[in-house]
Amino acid sequence: MQSRKPYLFLIVILSLILSSCAGGGGAGGNGKTATFIFTQEFDTLNPLYTNMWFSAITNQIWNCWAWTFDDQNNPIPVLVKEMPSATNGGISPDGKVITLALRDDIVWSDGKKITSEDFKFTFDMTMDPKNAVATTFPYDKITSLETPDAKTVVMTFAEPYAPWVGTLWHGIIPAHILQPVYEKDGTLDNAEWNRKPTVGCGPFVFKEWESGSFTRFVTNTKYWLDKPKLGEIFIRFVPDDAAQIAALVNGEGDLGTFFANSDVPSLEQAGVQVYRVYSGYNEGVYFYLHPEKSHPALRDVRVRKAIVMAIDRFSFAKQVLLDLTKPAVTDWDNMPYVDPSLQPYPFDPEGAKKLLDEAGWIDSNSDGTRDKDGVELVLKYGTTTREVRKNIQAVAQEQLAAVGIKVDLYNYESDQYFAGYNEGGPAAHGDLDMFQYSATPQFPDPDVADWLCNNIPSDDNPAGSNWSALCDTELDALFQLQATQVDFAARQQTFFTITKYIYDQVYWFGLWQDPDLWGVNKRLTNVKISGATPFFNIAEWDLVK
Amino acid sequence: MTRYIIRRLLQAIPLLFLISIALFVLMQNVGDPLATMGGRTATRAADRERLTRQLGLDKPIYVQYLYWLIGNDWARIDLDGDGVAETQGTRRGALRGDFGTSLVNRGVPVTTVVWDRLPNTLLLMLTSELVIILGALVIGIYAALRQYSLLDNLVTALSFIGFSMPIFFIALAAIYIFSVYFKRWGLPSLPATGMFDPEYGKTPAQILVHMILPVASISIISLAAYSRYIRSTMLEVLGQDYIRTARSKGLPKREVIFIHALKNASLPIVTVVGLDIPLLLGGAIVTERIFAWPGMGRLFLDHLERGDTPVVMGIMMLIAFAVVIFQLITDITYAWLDPRIRYH
Repeated sequence: MQSRKPYLFLIVILSLILSSCAGGGGAGGNGKTATFIFTQEFDTLNPLYTNMWFSAITNQIWNCWAWTFDDQNNPIPVLVKEMPSATNGGISPDGKVITLALRDDIVWSDGKKITSEDFKFTFDMTMDPKNAVATTFPYDKITSLETPDAKTVVMTFAEPYAPWVGTLWHGIIPAHILQPVYEKDGTLDNAEWNRKPTVGCGPFVFKEWESGSFTRFVTNTKYWLDKPKLGEIFIRFVPDDAAQIAALVNGEGDLGTFFANSDVPSLEQAGVQVYRVYSGYNEGVYFYLHPEKSHPALRDVRVRKAIVMAIDRFSFAKQVLLDLTKPAVTDWDNMPYVDPSLQPYPFDPEGAKKLLDEAGWIDSNSDGTRDKDGVELVLKYGTTTREVRKNIQAVAQEQLAAVGIKVDLYNYESDQYFAGYNEGGPAAHGDLDMFQYSATPQFPDPDVADWLCNNIPSDDNPAGSNWSALCDTELDALFQLQATQVDFAARQQTFFTITKYIYDQVYWFGLWQDPDLWGVNKRLTNVKISGATPFFNIAEWDLVK
Repeated sequence: MTRYIIRRLLQAIPLLFLISIALFVLMQNVGDPLATMGGRTATRAADRERLTRQLGLDKPIYVQYLYWLIGNDWARIDLDGDGVAETQGTRRGALRGDFGTSLVNRGVPVTTVVWDRLPNTLLLMLTSELVIILGALVIGIYAALRQYSLLDNLVTALSFIGFSMPIFFIALAAIYIFSVYFKRWGLPSLPATGMFDPEYGKTPAQILVHMILPVASISIISLAAYSRYIRSTMLEVLGQDYIRTARSKGLPKREVIFIHALKNASLPIVTVVGLDIPLLLGGAIVTERIFAWPGMGRLFLDHLERGDTPVVMGIMMLIAFAVVIFQLITDITYAWLDPRIRYH
């Protein structure tokens, strides 16, 4: 056995050499290196190939969106001279044509001009079936994209497309780098640029990515807006939550995110500043409302209202979520589209009982659960296995039992829970009477896909995402109307009506507003964080000793 | 011996083949790779349908396995969903050294994904193994030579404590004590995460400092087990007649212990170490995760969670192959240590 030791030593030394050779130079640029702690590693950096949040938020560091959003979620032009509008001619009178006028001074980090060709190339590559991109949305809404000159992009839609501000041009790709790759390989799937995008258009430029370990971005000297004050952004991948907190507390990390509310006190005690940033996530419960297959009790608005009033969402926010948030009123809280007069339904178990009595749901057989016409008021309530969701589900079960509603709880792994109709997802299939989650794929634009009549999943439409199976024609007409209102004020008014309508009908009820938590060490200054594009002002961030 | 080695290697071929089938089937039930591709929301149904086709996940499992094994460069595939297979496949298959590309890190060859992490894992795990073996030898031999002494009892007690503590507890406790609280108390502290401090760059010195806590965490548990093992085998050997003979012949104590006793006491330990070494390639899943060490354990877990069959298959087949090879090496080492053993 002893004679093996020299070999082990040799392999250790060899590994040490190989590991050190893998890169990771010292502090870059002006010596000001900010270390971010990310709990997930990017899958790819090519914006076309990923929907991963941790990858998307780095776009404001090294890539560029046509416009970004400030900490109030207002759009700020980046690649365009100004936001297209009906007034400046950027949006046609019928709302079907949107024209982008590009800035004259925009350049890639290698000095090449950014032109309309890059937009066209990004569009073409997204829609090309040879590229296994993450999503073709929303480019599949565009019927044609023209580039009359190097600084103009004209997009034509089949219908007026209101959500364009929140969904279009989340990153572009450099045609002069990737066109030859596509021509050679017939696809961008294997392009080296996907993992090493050495040419970008953000305030920083990609330097290095070591798998599982870190990614570095250094100052982009060609950036056309504010020059960055930091010399380097070093992103370390730390998958363990507790280790992330330790790294923030001991100063190894300057910024971290995605931690639990319960970590906030220890971070604040260590001097880490915690930002609560609303990015449109409102945790809530959808009812299954299929006209024939749903539970008969849920078809009565009085029962739905009683369920909300029987659950103490105020105590959830205070006790389970440590008073760091509050109950959500609508699916779109913290967006400018919610009727400001709406307030959460009160916690009122007695009022709930009264409503259930009125609706005819009484405990006729004294088994502790209300019933009507021989049907027991027993509901299936499902969500994922996320701990906070399970905790709140258990409390809700107890509170609903107190008013005579029996609830059976179901929990699923995320991939199982969010599986579609064809994959046998429980919510998509109508197996649950109440199902809980939060989603906001188009923030800061209000996503409505889960509410549309034509989006109810079925054998003919397995792709449908309206898992409530709700089809209220009055509501649907309002949704159809807002989708075509490219005028913000008009659309906002329509949405006020929508939110009030859903609130009154209790088609959905909110449990809590779910902000993103960011921990920032005090040495990192000038930090502002946006819900839509967290690093929108990263060029202004600085480090103080 | 040569014929024995060749026979063992030939026997390994059907074994690896069966392992690959079993793993591939298991992976189909682990997770849905498309479910997590939607980011913070569920993957759009239309994208799911398109990606299923483009990534070849719409094929029956036996076809997917066949493509993994022998490639698909002999077949045409339908990428645009029009029902016509128009695009020539490009995969060469595992038998020709092409383990496919990662579904998570789209387009990156599995061999690259694995190779990027292998040196880090070898560095962490072999250092730990060295610490464990050397530490266990010192403690085990010392405890055996001074059976029931105070130190033996103390080592026994500490071994049981170390052995009964879960690794995540040891790792997190180490981080909070030596990294967080030491810093708070103004003492020299150790880094908690990663392989180096970006201020200084990835130098050997930085890597060594960053290895202290993960190596210590991994070593504590195995050190406890190994030292108990060495103690008991040494005690057994020290009681044998030939050791008594060696002592009575007047051989120096050091020679009796390290040449005569330890060599024979090592036989069962060689088996344990021989089985351990290939498994080291899998990394220490919990330790690598907590200390953010970019090794194979984390790679395995990250890609398993996202149903990345090609990468998980690549890692598992590497480990399976290593197990076969190291079993063979263990058997050969056995013969070297004990001349009575002959292989035919």
